[in-house]
Amino acid sequence: MPTEEKLSYYLKKSKILPNYLEKKIRIAILSSFTLNGTGETFQVKCAEKNIQCITNLGAYNQYNQEILNTESTLYQFNPDITFLILDTRSILGDLWYFPYSIDEKQRKDFVEKKFKEIQNLIKIFSENSKSKFIISNFFIPTKSNYGIFETKLKFGIQKMINKLNESLQDYISDLDSVYLFDMNGFVSRYGENNVFDPKQFLFGDIKIALDFIPHLTNDLMGYVIATLGLSKRCIVLDLDNTLWGGIIGEDGFDRIKLGSGPPGNAYVEFQKYLLGLHNRGILLAINSKNNLDDALEVIEKHPDMVLKKEHFACMKINWNDKVSNIQEISHELNFGLENFVFIDDDPINRELMKSTLPQVLTIDFPKDPSNYVKALEDMNYFNVLKITDEDKKRGKMYTQQKERKDFEKLTPNLQDFLKNMELKVTIKEADKFSIPRISQLILKTNQFNLTTKRYQLEDVQKFSEDDNVLIGCVQVEDKFGDNGITGAFIVHKDGTKEWVLDTFLLSCRVMGREIEKSILAYIIKKAKDNNVNKIKAEYIPTQKNKPIENFLPNCGFKKEGNFWEIILNETFYSPDFIKIEEK
Amino acid sequence: MSENLYGIIARVMDVPISEINDDSSPETIPSWDSFNSYILLDELESEFKTEFTIDEVTETKNVSDIKKHLKNHGIILDD
Repeated sequence: MPTEEKLSYYLKKSKILPNYLEKKIRIAILSSFTLNGTGETFQVKCAEKNIQCITNLGAYNQYNQEILNTESTLYQFNPDITFLILDTRSILGDLWYFPYSIDEKQRKDFVEKKFKEIQNLIKIFSENSKSKFIISNFFIPTKSNYGIFETKLKFGIQKMINKLNESLQDYISDLDSVYLFDMNGFVSRYGENNVFDPKQFLFGDIKIALDFIPHLTNDLMGYVIATLGLSKRCIVLDLDNTLWGGIIGEDGFDRIKLGSGPPGNAYVEFQKYLLGLHNRGILLAINSKNNLDDALEVIEKHPDMVLKKEHFACMKINWNDKVSNIQEISHELNFGLENFVFIDDDPINRELMKSTLPQVLTIDFPKDPSNYVKALEDMNYFNVLKITDEDKKRGKMYTQQKERKDFEKLTPNLQDFLKNMELKVTIKEADKFSIPRISQLILKTNQFNLTTKRYQLEDVQKFSEDDNVLIGCVQVEDKFGDNGITGAFIVHKDGTKEWVLDTFLLSCRVMGREIEKSILAYIIKKAKDNNVNKIKAEYIPTQKNKPIENFLPNCGFKKEGNFWEIILNETFYSPDFIKIEEK
Repeated sequence: MSENLYGIIARVMDVPISEINDDSSPETIPSWDSFNSYILLDELESEFKTEFTIDEVTETKNVSDIKKHLKNHGIILDD
């Protein structure tokens, strides 16, 4: 079981939290049973991540009223995230005790009716709130009056809950801002006998034992981290005693532990888990003190190495200190340090990383390699609310990026380099295929981002339906491959004579290629087509967006008060080495 | 040990330990609401490595009741 503090720790700590933290979130919690303490635990866990969290716990078992009454405190609270945590006992009522007091058909009708009720709550809530809505599924009872015969029954109590869970999952899979929390998974992971304490239940209708409130909140924090775009994007790995057992420089190629039997299989298992993360878009990098040739021999030739050279977006295998190595990785991948998780078996390296670069998430890695996978599984820092095609291709794209960098080194002159890149940008207005990716870029992009306005998926959806808004995305291709959708812009077209650039951003992957000028040329062309003669823009400086600082003046914008303006009477030249395609 | 019991109650109820005595109860300590009594129960069970029965829990009206139950569980408190 992952280590967790008792609930009383969080209750006490919640009283002494700092008043101001950089990021903010409002969380509403609705429940069919006593969930006191959840709010305080959220506040503390958020504060640990520099998030100021304001919570609102709905009145005991009043979730129906809170949702159905659009004047309720829930809506007045105006949450960013709303959790609705229901439990199997409450939903079944007397059927929890006597499921077979009614026949199979009636049981089916009952489940259908309950599903419709919940569906209605989801609908009403979505119509009346911009908040993300996370509803828990139901834990499947493991005990039955029928004992071992239960699983022989037609549409028995387990099947009923299974069916309800399935219907809910099918229903919410197409909804944009509604998610299903796997409560059944939570209960089975920790065990029904632990999570449910009969005395606490009878004494105070506490259906998640107090000791498990922090565990539950920790799982739910995954949604908070993902909503605020704080998910980690890259795992930086040590080699010796991390990806294989032993030390390659001392033990040698044939003696390191890596293979199908124990203990080498622990490392194979860990590598397979990492490969799974890589396949869904988490980048992997190496930061190891070793002779490059020794390490490469293992990576390229060892028959049991699961991770190959092409799976690593960046490799720093040298005798430099790990802190400078990770800074270089950050520089090469164009990712801020806050996107990195650092994994190293040596506690001294970890301490050094923690104290020098606190932005990097250094995890306390277990001593025993059998627990490596679990250590990563238990951290919920890789959660995202949407996995796009770009995510799945990301690992491959970064391998191409490495080739681009090598090519850049071979070509001494930047102009020649860009000309030889065979750049092509495809600019499209937002559609249902690109909206999730646009929202993702808006939430995550820090560096080449003019205003750093963060819009949720629902906002992007609304912009795309608004005739007064031009919202589009940019796909970038070059001779090394497709970078996918890596740019986005939002233009307000309310004025007849002037348009306002609300959002303009490029992923760090495609920075430094003058693509921004091609996008601006596209927007200017659209403006001219609509007889607009001025575009206004604002540069909102942040700690991270220095790379875009000179973009407006470089493109001919002039400062007018707080805004920058460009008059559209002259021809705007976009780079001739970039082919623009409009769709 | 008595100090320890008072200490736990003071910590859970978020009041100075000097305010706790054997007569302390939900009537005398405003923060001693029903939820804090569940928390207190949970803390006492962990601290003294014992489990109270639901009868004991419902009968508990003040600190001296807690002491009585602990004594019945064989837990010696120094007075």
